[in-house]
Amino acid sequence: MRNIWDTIIGNRMFFLSLLFVILFVVLSLTVPGFLNLYNLTNMTQYGVELGLLALAEALVILSGGGGIDLSVGSMMSLVAIVIGVFIGRVGLSPSLAIVFGMLAGLAAGLFNGLLVSVGKILPLIVTLAGMYIYRSLALIIAVDPQFGPNPMPVSNFPKSFYFIGQYRIGGIPFQVLFIFVPVLLILHFLLSQTAWGRKLYGVGSNETAAIFSGIDVSRVRLTVYALSGLLSALAAWVITSRIASARPDIGTGYELQAITIAVLGGISIQGGEGTVGGVLLSVAIITMLNNGLQLAGIHQIWQMGALGLVLIGSVLLNQFLIRRRKI
Amino acid sequence: MTNFQRIVRRREFTVLILILVLGAIFSFTTERFLSISNISNLLLQLSGVAITAIGMTMVIITGGIDVSAGSTLGMACVVSGYFLLGGYSPFLALILAVLVGLGIGLVNGTIIAWGGIPPIIATLGMMNLIRALMFQILGGKWISGIPPSVRTIGLGKWLGIPIPMWIAAFLIAIFSYFLSYRPLGRHVYAVGNNPEAARVSGVNLKSTVVFVYALTGALAGFAGLINAARTGIVQTNTGMGFELDVIAAVVLGGTSALGGRGTIIGSLLGAFLVGIIKNGMVLLNVPALSEGLVIGVLIIISVLADIIRARRETR
Amino acid sequence: METIVLECRGISKSFGGVRALKQVNFSLRQGEVHALVGENGAGKSTLIRIISGALLPDQGEIWYQGKKVEITSPRLAQTMGISAVYQDPLIYPYLSVVENIFLGREIKTPRGNIDWSKQEEKAKELFASLNISPHFLRQPMGELSVGLQQLVLIAKAIAYGAQVIIFDEPTAILTEHEAERLFQIIKRLKEQRVGIIYISHRLEEIFQIADRVTIMRDGEVVGDYPLSAINREMIVELMAGKHLVEEIEHGGKKGKEPILAVKNLTKKGKFEDVSFEAFQGEILAFSGLVGSGRTDVAQALFGIISPDSGEIYYQGKKFKAYSPQYAMNQGIAYLPEDRKTQGLFPILSVSYNITISILRQIANHLGIVNAKREREIAEKYIKELNIRTPSLEAKVFNLSGGNQQKVVLAKWLGVNPRVLILDEPTRGIDVAAKAEVHQMIAKLVERGMAVIIISSELPEVLKLADRVIVMHEGKITGVFEGEDIDSTNLVRAATGERMLPGKSD
Repeated sequence: MRNIWDTIIGNRMFFLSLLFVILFVVLSLTVPGFLNLYNLTNMTQYGVELGLLALAEALVILSGGGGIDLSVGSMMSLVAIVIGVFIGRVGLSPSLAIVFGMLAGLAAGLFNGLLVSVGKILPLIVTLAGMYIYRSLALIIAVDPQFGPNPMPVSNFPKSFYFIGQYRIGGIPFQVLFIFVPVLLILHFLLSQTAWGRKLYGVGSNETAAIFSGIDVSRVRLTVYALSGLLSALAAWVITSRIASARPDIGTGYELQAITIAVLGGISIQGGEGTVGGVLLSVAIITMLNNGLQLAGIHQIWQMGALGLVLIGSVLLNQFLIRRRKI
Repeated sequence: MTNFQRIVRRREFTVLILILVLGAIFSFTTERFLSISNISNLLLQLSGVAITAIGMTMVIITGGIDVSAGSTLGMACVVSGYFLLGGYSPFLALILAVLVGLGIGLVNGTIIAWGGIPPIIATLGMMNLIRALMFQILGGKWISGIPPSVRTIGLGKWLGIPIPMWIAAFLIAIFSYFLSYRPLGRHVYAVGNNPEAARVSGVNLKSTVVFVYALTGALAGFAGLINAARTGIVQTNTGMGFELDVIAAVVLGGTSALGGRGTIIGSLLGAFLVGIIKNGMVLLNVPALSEGLVIGVLIIISVLADIIRARRETR
Repeated sequence: METIVLECRGISKSFGGVRALKQVNFSLRQGEVHALVGENGAGKSTLIRIISGALLPDQGEIWYQGKKVEITSPRLAQTMGISAVYQDPLIYPYLSVVENIFLGREIKTPRGNIDWSKQEEKAKELFASLNISPHFLRQPMGELSVGLQQLVLIAKAIAYGAQVIIFDEPTAILTEHEAERLFQIIKRLKEQRVGIIYISHRLEEIFQIADRVTIMRDGEVVGDYPLSAINREMIVELMAGKHLVEEIEHGGKKGKEPILAVKNLTKKGKFEDVSFEAFQGEILAFSGLVGSGRTDVAQALFGIISPDSGEIYYQGKKFKAYSPQYAMNQGIAYLPEDRKTQGLFPILSVSYNITISILRQIANHLGIVNAKREREIAEKYIKELNIRTPSLEAKVFNLSGGNQQKVVLAKWLGVNPRVLILDEPTRGIDVAAKAEVHQMIAKLVERGMAVIIISSELPEVLKLADRVIVMHEGKITGVFEGEDIDSTNLVRAATGERMLPGKSD
C-alpha cells in the first residue's frame, strides 16, 4: 500500500494529473454551471493571466539563491496603468502603448534583477520593497488631474484593443491561442532545449558547482528577474484587454497565487527543480478551483484563503519528498 | 575605539539623526507639525507598529520574516471589536485579542520550525487564510459604532501622551530587558548568528523559533485591539499593509535581513522614522499614494548601506 | 604514572568500502600532551571525529575516566568533558566574547536572569588561569583575530569542565607570537591536569610541547613513543612507510617548452612565491599536507581566486584567469576537490553533468542544444571511463562515489583542455575505480595533455608522477624528479624541510 502512495506522490506529473481529474469530476458533479462549454472556455481566459505570472514566478524560483518574486502582481498593475494611460489619456496607438508597457515591465524586472545579482540583496527583500514601490507608482500614474487627487482607472480604449482579451477563434479565447500557448511553448523550449535553460537549472541546483563549471551566475539570475517583469507585462496587457479597463490595483493578491501555482506545479523552493509542464497542470487546477468556488457562490476572498492552504500544503509535500531523498 | 565612537557608528544613531533632521524640516515647512495634536496623533498611529516591531525584530534576527502581521492585527480587531460592541469588559477584549494573535503566531511558528517551510511561504499562506476567515466572520459587513466609553485604551491620554504609546514604551522596556537578560532572549540571537553552533550548545532551536512567531502574533493582536479602540471601526481590509510598516521599521532600525543582529530600540526608532515620514507627507500634501514608493526605496537604501558597510569591514 | 583519562581500543571505521581506521589503539593520560601525526588520509581526522562525537565507530570501544562510553554526539562529548578546538570555529560572530563562552550554559541569578557580571567575572578567572589579558571580553567575537578566537574557544572548553581538549592543526592560522602564547596556555592546561590531543604536521612544534607521539599511516597506528625515545627522522620514516608501488608507464612525450610557467605567484594568507613549470605530455604532481596551499594555487590558475602578485605564462604569453569561464575557454580545466559541493549537480542527470561545461559543443550559435549530440557525447564518456549508471538520465546522487568522480572527470575531459588540473581525483573512491581513473590519466598524458594532479595520497603520487612539487604552508619546499621521488623525501618536504637546491630559509 505504501508503494502506491510513493509512486503517486513521488511522480509529480502523475500526481497533478490525478488531482486535475479528481477536481474536474468533483466540480462537475457538485457545482451547477461548471460543466458547460461556455464556462470552461471562459475559465481559460482567466487562466492565462494567472498562468503567465505563475510562469514568471517559476523561473525566478528555479534560479535558486532564495529566489522569489513578490512583485509580480504589482508589476502587472504598473504595466496595466501605463498602457491605459498611454492609450486613454495620452492618445497613443494601442500598439505603441503596449510596447511601452512591455518596456516598463522589463525595466521593473531589471531593477529587481540588478539589486539581486549585482547588489547581492536577498530576493525576498528586493521584491518585497519592489512590490510596494511598483504598486505606489501605479497608483500615482493613475491619478488624472482632471478628476481630482484620486487614482482613476482608464477605460476609454479603441475597439482594436480588445481583440487579445475578448475575441475568440473557433470558440477558443484569443489570448490562450496567441499568447499563452506560444509563451508556454517558448519557455518549455528555453528550459529544456537551450544552453541558457541548462545553465538556469545548474545555478538553481548548486550555485558553487555552477561557478566552478564556468557558468555566469549573476547573468543568469539577472535574466530571470527581467523575464519575470516581461511576463508580468504580458499578463497586464491581456487582463486589461479582457476587462476593458486599466486599473492600478488589478494585480493585488496575484503574487500569492503565482507562488502557490509554481510550488504546487513542482518548482522546488530550493531551486533547480521543476518543469513548465507541471506548472501548466497546476495553473489548470487552481483556475478550476477558483472558478468552481466562484460558481458555488463562495466569495473571492475564500479563494485566497483556500490558496493559502494549498500553498502551505504543497511546500510541506515538497519538503517531505526532499527529505526522503538520500543524497 | 572609544565608547562614543562605538555609539556613533551604530545604525540607531544614524536613524536618530535622520528623525531629528526630518522633524526640523517638517517643523519649518509646515505649521501643524509641531502642534500637540499632530504629535500625539503621530504617536498614536505608530504605537501599533512599535509594539508589533518588538516581535518582528526577533523574527528577523532569527533570519525569518512574518508577512501575516497585518492579517493577524485584522483578525484580532474583528474578535475584540465584537466583544467591545457586545458590551463586554474592554479588559476581556484585550485578553481575547492577544490570545487570537498568539494562536495565529503559534501556528506560524510550528509550521516553520517543524514543517521546514520557509518563513515567507508559511506567513504568506497564513496571511491570506486569516484574511479569508476574517471575511467569513464579518460576513462582508463592517463593525462600527463601538461606544467611546470602552475605547479609552485607544483614545485616552495620560500626561498628554496617548495611552497606546505608554503601553508601547512599557512593552519595549520589558522586552529589551528580556532580550538582554533572559537566556531565551539570547538564544534568539544565537539562532540567528549560527544555528549549528546553537544546536551543539544545547539551545532548543524549534522552541525558540516558535516563540518568536508566537510573540509577534500576540503583539500584533495587541496592536489590533488598540486599533479597534482607536478607530471604532473594523472592516475586512483592516490591517492590510500593516506588515510592511512593521518590517520597514525593523529593517530601517538596523536589524539585518540576514539575521544575527538588531535591537528593539532600533526598531522603535525605525517606527518613528516611518511614522514621521508618513506624517510629513500628509502635512505637505504629498499624496498618500506615494507612501509605498518612499518606504520601499528607503528599505532598499537601508539594506544596500548594510551590505556596503559589511564589505568594508571585511576588507 | 598519571591516570589514563581516555582510551580507544580497537577502533575501526570504514566509509563505503574504503577503510579509514583499522584496529586503532590510542590512550591519553591526564596532564599529557599527546601528539598525533600522519599524512593526509592516515586517519587522524577520522579518529578525532569519533572521539569528539561527530562519528560513530564501526568496531571498538572508548573508555573515558575509567568507564566504557558511547559518544553519540558532539554535544554529548562536550557535556562529558571532551572539547575540540578546530580551525573552523562554531562561533556567534555578532555576540560578545563572554556570551560565546557561556551561551547554552548561562550563569543565572536566582530569578532566572543571566548574571552578566558573574559571567564576566568567571570569564576573567578563566582567562587569568590561562594567563591571558581579558581586555576584549565585551567585543563581538567576529571582530577578533582568529588567534584570539581560538583562545576564547579554549576558555570555553575549560568552562565546560573539559578533561580532554583536542587541537587540530591549531597553529596553522596563528602568527609566531600567537603560537608561543598558545604553547604557554597549553602548559597551563597541563598544570590543570587536562589531557591534550595535539594534531600537527609541524614536527618542530611537537618536539617543543608534546610528551608522547602517536604516528598513524593508512588508518593504522604504526608507532606510539614518548618524545624522548624518538627523533625527527624516525617520525618521518614511520609516516612515510615503504610503499611498493608500481609506477605507471605512459607513452607521453614531454614537451620542449613549458605550456604553463608560473613565477613568484603570491596570495596573502594562502601561498607565497610559488614558481614552477608544467609541460605537455607530463604528469606533474603537487604533494603536501592539508592546508599547504596547493588548491589555492590551482584556483588562482583557474580564475576562482585572484593572486596578489606574480606572473603566469600560458603558451608562452602572459596570462591572467579572469573567471572560470575564461580559463576554460583558453584551455585550462580544474576538477575541484569536493565533488559533492563543487563538482557535481547531484539532483541533475548524468548526461547533464557531463555536458554542462561544453554547451558550446552541443549547442548551435542560437543556443539551441542538439539533443542527439548531447547523448552521443555523454555515451562516449560513459563508455570511455566505464561509468556504471542505469541510464543517461539517472540522477547523479544515486551513483557510487567512484562513478560520481568519473562523471566529474568526464565533464572536464569534454572541455578538451590543454592543461588539466585534478584536485584529489581519487579521494574517497574504491580501489577499482581508482585504478580506472589512473589509467585514464595516463591516456590523457599520451594524448599530449599537461596533467597537474594535486594529491595527498602518497601511493598515488608515487605511482603517477613524472615530477613532484611539494608544498608546505604556502611555499614550495621540494621539487623531485625520477629516482628522487620516494616516500621519505616527499614526507620530509611536506613537513617543512626545505629540500630545494641553493635556497635558504
